[in-house]
Amino acid sequence: MTNHYCDLKNADVILIMGSNAAEHHPIAFKWILRAKEKGATIIHVDPRYTRTSARCDFHVPLRSGTDIAFLGGMINFILEKDKYFKDYVLNYTNASFIVGEDFSFNDGLFSGYDAQKRKYDKATWVLEKDGNGIPKRDMTLSNPRSVFQMLKKHYSRYTLDKVSSITGVSKENLLKVYEIYSSTGVPDKAGTECYALGWTHHTVGSQNIRTMAIIQLLLGNMGIAGGGINALRGEPNVQGSTDHCILYGNLPGYLKAPSASLDSLDHYLEKYTPVSKDPQSANYYQNYPKFFVSFLKALWDDKATKENGFGYHWLPKMDDGKHYSTMHMVDAMYKGKVKGYFCVGADTAVSTPNSNKVRKAMENLDWLVGENIFNNETYEFWRGPGVDPKKIKTECFLLPAAATMEKEGSQSNSGRWVQWKYKAADAPGDGLPVGEIEIKIMAAVKKLYEKEGGPNAEAIVNLKWDYLDKQGHYDVIKVAKQINGVFLEDTVIEDKAKGTKTEFKKGQLVPTFGNLQADGKTACGNWIISGSYTADGINKMASRGKEDPTGLGLFPNWAFAWPVNRRIIYNRASCDVNGKPYNPKRKLLEWTGEKWVGDVPDGPWPPMADKEKGKYPFIMKTDGVGALFGPGMVDGPFSEHYEPFEGPLAKNPMSSQLINPAAEIFNSDMDKLERASEKFPYVCTTYSCTEHWCTGALTRWQAWLLEMQPELYVEISEQLAKEKGIQNGARVKVSSVRGEAPCVAMVTKRFKPFTVEGKTVHQVGMPFNYGWLFPEDGSGGDSTNMLTPTAGCANTFCPEYKAFMVNVEKA
Amino acid sequence: MRKGLVQVTDGKERLGHWVLAISCLCLCVTGLGMMFHSFNFLGTLVGGLANLKMIHNYVGLIFTISLLVMIRMWWREAGVFVFPEDMDWIKAAGGYLWHVDKVPETGKYNPGQKAFFLVVAIFGALMVVSGLIMWFPSVFPVGLVRWMYPLHALGFVVIFAFFFVHLYLGTIGNPGSVQAMTTGWMEKPVLKMLHPKWFKEMEEKGEFIEYGVEPKPKETGHH
Amino acid sequence: MNNKPELVKLIDTTLCTACRGCQVACKQWNEMPGLRTRQRGTYQNPEDLQWNTWTLIRFQEYEAKDGKFQWIFRKDGCMHCTDAACVKVCPSGALHYTPLKTVGLDRNKCIGCKECVAACPFHIPRYNASTDKVYKCDLCYTRLTEGLPPACVKSCPTGALTIGEKNKMIKKAYARVKQLGGDANVYGDKFVDGTHVIYVLQYKPEVYDELPVKPSVPLSVVIWKDLLKPLSLLGAGGVVAGSFVHYMLHGPKAPPPEGTNEAGKTEGGE
Repeated sequence: MTNHYCDLKNADVILIMGSNAAEHHPIAFKWILRAKEKGATIIHVDPRYTRTSARCDFHVPLRSGTDIAFLGGMINFILEKDKYFKDYVLNYTNASFIVGEDFSFNDGLFSGYDAQKRKYDKATWVLEKDGNGIPKRDMTLSNPRSVFQMLKKHYSRYTLDKVSSITGVSKENLLKVYEIYSSTGVPDKAGTECYALGWTHHTVGSQNIRTMAIIQLLLGNMGIAGGGINALRGEPNVQGSTDHCILYGNLPGYLKAPSASLDSLDHYLEKYTPVSKDPQSANYYQNYPKFFVSFLKALWDDKATKENGFGYHWLPKMDDGKHYSTMHMVDAMYKGKVKGYFCVGADTAVSTPNSNKVRKAMENLDWLVGENIFNNETYEFWRGPGVDPKKIKTECFLLPAAATMEKEGSQSNSGRWVQWKYKAADAPGDGLPVGEIEIKIMAAVKKLYEKEGGPNAEAIVNLKWDYLDKQGHYDVIKVAKQINGVFLEDTVIEDKAKGTKTEFKKGQLVPTFGNLQADGKTACGNWIISGSYTADGINKMASRGKEDPTGLGLFPNWAFAWPVNRRIIYNRASCDVNGKPYNPKRKLLEWTGEKWVGDVPDGPWPPMADKEKGKYPFIMKTDGVGALFGPGMVDGPFSEHYEPFEGPLAKNPMSSQLINPAAEIFNSDMDKLERASEKFPYVCTTYSCTEHWCTGALTRWQAWLLEMQPELYVEISEQLAKEKGIQNGARVKVSSVRGEAPCVAMVTKRFKPFTVEGKTVHQVGMPFNYGWLFPEDGSGGDSTNMLTPTAGCANTFCPEYKAFMVNVEKA
Repeated sequence: MRKGLVQVTDGKERLGHWVLAISCLCLCVTGLGMMFHSFNFLGTLVGGLANLKMIHNYVGLIFTISLLVMIRMWWREAGVFVFPEDMDWIKAAGGYLWHVDKVPETGKYNPGQKAFFLVVAIFGALMVVSGLIMWFPSVFPVGLVRWMYPLHALGFVVIFAFFFVHLYLGTIGNPGSVQAMTTGWMEKPVLKMLHPKWFKEMEEKGEFIEYGVEPKPKETGHH
Repeated sequence: MNNKPELVKLIDTTLCTACRGCQVACKQWNEMPGLRTRQRGTYQNPEDLQWNTWTLIRFQEYEAKDGKFQWIFRKDGCMHCTDAACVKVCPSGALHYTPLKTVGLDRNKCIGCKECVAACPFHIPRYNASTDKVYKCDLCYTRLTEGLPPACVKSCPTGALTIGEKNKMIKKAYARVKQLGGDANVYGDKFVDGTHVIYVLQYKPEVYDELPVKPSVPLSVVIWKDLLKPLSLLGAGGVVAGSFVHYMLHGPKAPPPEGTNEAGKTEGGE
């Protein structure tokens, strides 16, 4: 989240789209209700009327997979009706920048597309710079090549009629949402958006969010209290996981994992350290080398030296152009290229798309190691339905892991609050914290490499790996401190702006990432978490101060918010160019003439009106401004509606590109797709429920929870039920071209058929919380992912769980 | 046993009567234990109020069977009013409330006794039915179940009232009668006073079963 | 000495997200098991209150007369009446009024007669054949006496469940109803001498499943407990006394001495 949970109460309008907040963030939802209490309007846009809709002011159903059309229509509305926040757009976004002359968009494709590779060459996606290397601007916003005009042109194609026809949303409802939401484009109103997997689980997932980011920039809602783009992260500590680089393309703190062609530290740093010639752009990522080198030092300590590029060569590299997402991993497994699999805190056989392929793929493994609290379908794949254990040669291990309350450590919520928590009880039996399991396994591997050598042995042998305490158990404090960062030698830090010099001793903790060095003087496991300890060794993550001086729910002394305890990021955009708050009644920050007061400011520099020392507010962006034109995405600097990989239409109403042209197509024999087919005529979406946790691998064992949601069901409209002669509670079979999911029919008023391109399109939905292992008689049902396709977001490979085609029949 | 006694009831009648009477008494006592909080202490005598309920329920089954047997046994003689003699008796209150020179003669059982039989038969049946519904309430609609409790209570009130009068009149109120149900034999004078018509009938038909006298083969008074 | 304030629990259905934290918290605190159920085509599970389910969120898909759709959630459970039919009928005193004026259930005293099951106007108590006992919410009495909120109230994330001093809560409910407008109403304070669990309802009571519109202690219970029981004592006493008086005044009916007839005249020989 750019903001945080408590901040939701400050909004005047809350759009919940791509999220079922009340069901999956039930505790956080109370902040949304607090906003409602104060008179905010809460809107829920979702294919299905859910428990969230019941508490919102109104619900707007839309066909799953059409969010960009819906939001594109909103951008069109905002620009046509002049609803944007002019001062903000002019000064804080790249609206005035000039798009490169070679950039174009035509019939669904941006310039630079290679149809063979299904990839864009982004060379033309540039903004023009003047002789000094500073972006050209047209402050009148009238230049037809200005980002503003290009934006307007691009989204002018999303007319009400078009959008209504694609999404199945009535024009009435579209206008209702657009009017209410765009009313926040004024200084004294804040609009916020809450999304979750309803937006990310699409082949256009990242662009869904991009579109909303554009809206929020146009309305001046970024960086203010009650505004922002707020991802409600997942239950299994997804925020903490991504912060600490669970994603294959990241290093801790969202640093970039290197590809093989970046063959030296210098080449790597050159690629990823942005350069800005504009003195008013803070371009904070210019400090990238400090974060990266400190990370390498954290791994290899004194073995990483300036001479050996701080061990850069030891870092594993990705093959250029290759990806290693879960779907890629399963694909490689299916093709026999993966020997062994560590499945930690996951149930791949139920959660990964195309379960039939996944389960078949696992049969090729030589070994499987599970680390989990309970057994699950993945660890028992060798005796699953239709599998003959005698034919499986995989050696399977299951290591019992401690549950969250059985270990001490930090947990990070969506609001970037890193909260320290304590151990309540010992894990039963032999259960250990996963951290301890990993450390011990790696220590043993290290010993083997020391004895036997091997490819890239130095990387392992040279690891600083002393994270066990005297009793031989996981020393979470030691790990936390290493993550925070430590001075490896006596260091003097000079603050030229303040004219101060601070001395730090060897071994002292780094109090902020601003103190990290690129010359090897500091080690830091995760730069964004730097500052979670003070230089005196106080754990800020454990602080529980309830003071709230601004009254905005910032709670500055409650836990540690990364980065540097900043609660709302890009907060300098909540003030005008002189540093005066846009809305004095919701003062997040204010420039006193000498310093910023309020939240931790986005850098100490004066506001941008000070041409000498002042900086633009979006300090992490190279140009210092919010990107309306965003060339960082692989599938376009603007978003565009493409149909889901497997959708009901044969033709995309917007262009000749039916599906996302940059999204990868998997082509094994088990990766079938069937679009616009009479055999699978219904749009299906999948989701969880409040009562179960993801695959249900943890919660199906809990009698109280299983009692409430005992088995798999499909929610279908009364109209579809009538058509197929299906009674409420009857057994049915849901099928896609990839597999089947027998379950119970839940006939409901909460789904209604859509009219899309003049035809009736039915939408159904299923939870994915069940697997064959438990309940033991299989009565709970098996994985819903039998139905889903191996397809995912072009940028992140987040699978398209939320839009594919099925049939529903009486069993 | 001695000479001059006449048999008025046979073994079946007496056994049946006492099974019915004792089970009824037991039901009243156990029922009382559950009807009034001040009588809850009765539960402690049997190891808990739950046991009291169990005893009440199962004795109720015994009561049910014996009630059916006794109704079958006595309904012709004790369940059918014969007019005008029964009405005359009623008008004179059977001689029990004020002095009557000559009490109107009635058959084997007088209307008072018939009334008691009918009350036990009808309200007893009511107790059985309402009791069964109270024992298995989930099988029946709640609206029906709710009225079973006051009816069961009403039944108890009525049966108890009639029972006590029966007890009084069957013992100290009519000395010499209780033997009819204990030994089965009564003194001829008492029998003649209380049931003159029946006495005459038996005398005429020679149906007396006198102690020490060989009985002539004849029809007994009941079927 | 017992200056404990009278407490009322408020269920504001307009704040409920049906997360069912309360349904689980109740089971956890009262050590009630979760049993195997089936999916019958609804989120509502178990399908009704049970001996092991003392509070249940009822799900209802409701289309209002203006065509507006609302998924209604209502937390069902014991209303803790001031004039409780169940207490009235309980033969053993297992159901009783606590010093906090809630309706407690001492399972040790329960004899499983199930009279309360029929008597309750809200259809709350539930019977378990294997333990031969009846179960229902007791408003977490053991927590209340320690100054803790009931488990359900503690678990509620949105504040739909709150508990406090009776008049304060009733005031709060009416203020909320005023804020909501429309058909919103307070349910519970006007029935059975006022319940200790009250609702803020979005719609009129008749809209809601399993919610009696005008609950009251059943007439049969009133007739039985308030009429028949005292009458029975009178009746029984009257009969016994009457017999005694009769014996004293009228005396027994004894046969005439040998040789005389009833009227005292000497009988002639035969």
